[in-house]
Amino acid sequence: MHNLSAIEIRDKFLNGELSALSICQTFLDRIAQHDKEVGAFLSVFTERAIAKAKELDAKRARGETLGKLAAIPVAIKDNIHVKGEITTCASKFLTNYKAPFDSTLTTLLESEDAIILGKTNLDEFAMGSSTENSGLQTTRNPWNLKCVPGGSSGGSAAAVAAKFCPIAFGSDTGGSVRLPAAFCGIAGFKPTYGRVSRFGLVAYGSSLDQIGTFAATAEDIGLIMEVIGRHCRHDATSLPGGPEKYLEVPHDIRGMKIGVPKEFLKTLAPEPKKVFDNALERLKQMGATLVDIDLNLLKYSIATYYILATAEASTNLARFDGIRYGQRSKRATNLHEVYNFSKEEGYGKEVKRRILLGTYVLSAGYQNAYYKKAQKVRTLIIESYKKAFKECDLIASPVSPFAAFEIGAIKDPIQMYLEDIYTIPINLAGLPAISIPDGFSHDGKPMGLQLIGPQKGDVKVISAATAFQKANPEFTAIPKTFKD
Amino acid sequence: MANIDKETIKNLTELCRIDCTEEEQISLLHDLQKILKYVDQLEEVDTEHVKPCNHILDANIDATREDFVGNIMPRDVFLSNAPSHTGGMIKVPPIMK
Repeated sequence: MHNLSAIEIRDKFLNGELSALSICQTFLDRIAQHDKEVGAFLSVFTERAIAKAKELDAKRARGETLGKLAAIPVAIKDNIHVKGEITTCASKFLTNYKAPFDSTLTTLLESEDAIILGKTNLDEFAMGSSTENSGLQTTRNPWNLKCVPGGSSGGSAAAVAAKFCPIAFGSDTGGSVRLPAAFCGIAGFKPTYGRVSRFGLVAYGSSLDQIGTFAATAEDIGLIMEVIGRHCRHDATSLPGGPEKYLEVPHDIRGMKIGVPKEFLKTLAPEPKKVFDNALERLKQMGATLVDIDLNLLKYSIATYYILATAEASTNLARFDGIRYGQRSKRATNLHEVYNFSKEEGYGKEVKRRILLGTYVLSAGYQNAYYKKAQKVRTLIIESYKKAFKECDLIASPVSPFAAFEIGAIKDPIQMYLEDIYTIPINLAGLPAISIPDGFSHDGKPMGLQLIGPQKGDVKVISAATAFQKANPEFTAIPKTFKD
Repeated sequence: MANIDKETIKNLTELCRIDCTEEEQISLLHDLQKILKYVDQLEEVDTEHVKPCNHILDANIDATREDFVGNIMPRDVFLSNAPSHTGGMIKVPPIMK
């Protein structure tokens, strides 16, 4: 049962073949048996999930209308609120923080009868690309338990890859859904900026954050987007309208022009290049035409991002001061010590690094040189993409310069930041993008193909990804250890 | 471009109100120097006639609404996360002696 897609699970529940309780129990049992090896979950809502499952079975028995996501078990990254449950953001600062309200994501999922199984591990406050910065526990890649699952939404990606749930949610600010999706051999989608509500997502980089969805297939993600991809009045940056139709559109890329930024990709190493070139060949076989596009300016994306994201983060994290919520330092004897000691004890090294950097680039005397300069380069990056989309319908690129690395292998922060070179520019431009599996490294680790659309091109992206996965099913595999 | 030193780090930790040990400050200085050197590459980009990006979406979003009292978080719910509270107020140590 655990290898079924979300759509299949829901349909088998609706037609009476499976009970919600048996579905829920199957996945809870898998988590209980196997998550000690993976470490995907920070908390599991056993009682809550079983209660919801029983309620759904009763609803079905009474012949009541059931939601679009009925009985689908989901996991949620622990920086997104579920009312009454702890939201830790994987930080020692928030280990006692109970969410006083539901995120819009939670509200929409529950109103469509999804079953929330629990919260998943992440890099602390979503700052990282490997989940190694979690202040609470280590998450391992189900494909190779010595390796990272990617980050920052590593727990959610690992949960789906290990078949602990068919759907999981993360947040993507510079690649934090797409990168772990690629490392874990599953699909991971970041919507157009504003397409999915950020209400109840703990903010990191407010002009970059979006809630993203993980599943084995892009088709399952389409089902989810038909529920969550809509305007939200609590989020002032929410796009009007939605949800759009993702499932009943033709999944056909014949005649589509797919842009490839050859010059920008010329530093790609031989192995990822081979996998990527093979994916391009498959796209051609499916009837698309490849077009060379100029995105050379993207080489400045990482520098632009690390100025803007850290600046926004320094503001967003100022609220964690030990006053209204969070762990207040017991050593503090005056107000300033509340701030200083609470943060010193609560924050990990990467969080401190980014807050300090963000404060510096915004400080008097440096704002023009750094922050305003980065804002201008961002404008140019957005224009580069607009120009490219005049020549093509979608853009293709690898997701990462390499496959999953061993835990502890990358210690240099800049080396870690460079991992995001293909994912970061998309957040700067607010574009929709998906990572889907397109092959394996020589030592059996998954790699991902990224398909990128113009702003509001979410349906086009998911549709093309669905077509690719249907035409190339061998890439969507299950790690041996977690198949049974 | 800018040169940062131990003094800069000390000032930054005071601005951010984050206590850092001597050892951490040295490590952070080293890291920030490397990162700032890396981001200096933006100087290569000609942005003389470019406007800073303040809105990434093309969409015109009017996020205003009528001014009415909606759902308010009850005080006891809000205070349930406070480290210390009394009489409906959050309690903090003295601001100054």
